[in-house]
Amino acid sequence: MRYDDPQLRELLAGEYVLGTLPARARARFERLMRADPELARLVDLWSARLSPLDAPTRPEPPPPRVWQAIEARLPKVVPLRPRWHESVRVWRRIAVGALAAAAALLIFVLTSLPPAGSGGRVVAVLMDKGGTAGWIATLNPRKGEVVLTAVRPQAIDQAHIFELWAISGRGPPKPLGLMTASLAERATLPSAALPPEGGVLAVSLEPAGGSPTGAPTGPVLYTGKVL
Amino acid sequence: LTAGDPAGMVAAKGGTPFGAMAEAPGTGKGELAALIAGTAAGDRRAFAALYGATSAKLFGVALRILRRRDLAEEALQESFIAVWQRARSFDPEKGEPMTWLIAILRHRAIDQLRRRAARVEGQGQSEAALLTMAAGEDSRADRGAELGALERCLELLEPPARQAVMLAYAYGFTHAELAARLPAPIGTVKSWIRRGLERLKRCLDG
Repeated sequence: MRYDDPQLRELLAGEYVLGTLPARARARFERLMRADPELARLVDLWSARLSPLDAPTRPEPPPPRVWQAIEARLPKVVPLRPRWHESVRVWRRIAVGALAAAAALLIFVLTSLPPAGSGGRVVAVLMDKGGTAGWIATLNPRKGEVVLTAVRPQAIDQAHIFELWAISGRGPPKPLGLMTASLAERATLPSAALPPEGGVLAVSLEPAGGSPTGAPTGPVLYTGKVL
Repeated sequence: LTAGDPAGMVAAKGGTPFGAMAEAPGTGKGELAALIAGTAAGDRRAFAALYGATSAKLFGVALRILRRRDLAEEALQESFIAVWQRARSFDPEKGEPMTWLIAILRHRAIDQLRRRAARVEGQGQSEAALLTMAAGEDSRADRGAELGALERCLELLEPPARQAVMLAYAYGFTHAELAARLPAPIGTVKSWIRRGLERLKRCLDG
């Protein structure tokens, strides 16, 4: 089939929304749509055209178990885990170069985020040396906390964990706590722990239980300037 | 009409006027858009409020399409997980919140229909009533001035094409299932749908 024929595209988009496509044609169309924003746009337009047909359908309250099941599947919000060891040593090798290299991506990430005020302001995007975002830190002023949301899941073995650090000025990194990079978990920390603007949040890979020295011992994987 | 009966499509008489979106009071599209934006930012209270404001309507649509409460519950659950994950992709400049939510639900409900080898058979009472309505045999006096643009355009279709389009949308029937129900040869059903969609688009966009 030729998917560049405008009439065919229009028809398939309409039939997709109508629900008439058989399973395989439907799956094929969905694959095309993911790679073709224009096709997705045609689908949106058909959804809007036909949506009045849903208007007369009577609302029916779903049983409470549906919401309970949904809630159970949301990411758990957990405080940063406490560290086992507390000691301070000087450490300041932060990959500042990576920050500049990743500026373009930062702008992309920020502009694709929801508007401020709806539930949190982005205060830092933590990126690796290649400019790939690992965590986004958002400030919730109402609750006085910063939430770290992992952008992509990273499986690590039981013997390791991610540790979050705050660096202000030329001072040594201050350990903030431990977290996983699971999409099912969001770490929170009090907003007072956030370094001032221009400071840096960094993530290093540490032995389970946290850095034994109080300074990062494993590789610093992610850094993000506080905005 | 039982709770699980996909009767909503024919509730126009004495019920919700065709073309008017039934929403809980205090949750217009501005509020819903704000709740979706809050959900995109990870605000659980916004997400819970969004569920509270829209889940009954979405569950009604899921029941209409799937005709089984367990399947409708599953579709509703999967839809709200998708809403939580994809709330960022909603653009209030480009679409209505309720249309976006229903599209997510329809996507899952119809996928579920296609996955199931044997669908729940039987033409419900409401389907018969819908066929009658789609055929234009009911009285229009009680709907009068409230005819929406879509319904006005549907009136322009030949009755069998109108039936085919409305049944497909209401229940997610494939061409073959429509052919068995109307009844008509599958090639004829396909051309009704194709011509029906073309005319609807011209009428609605023009």
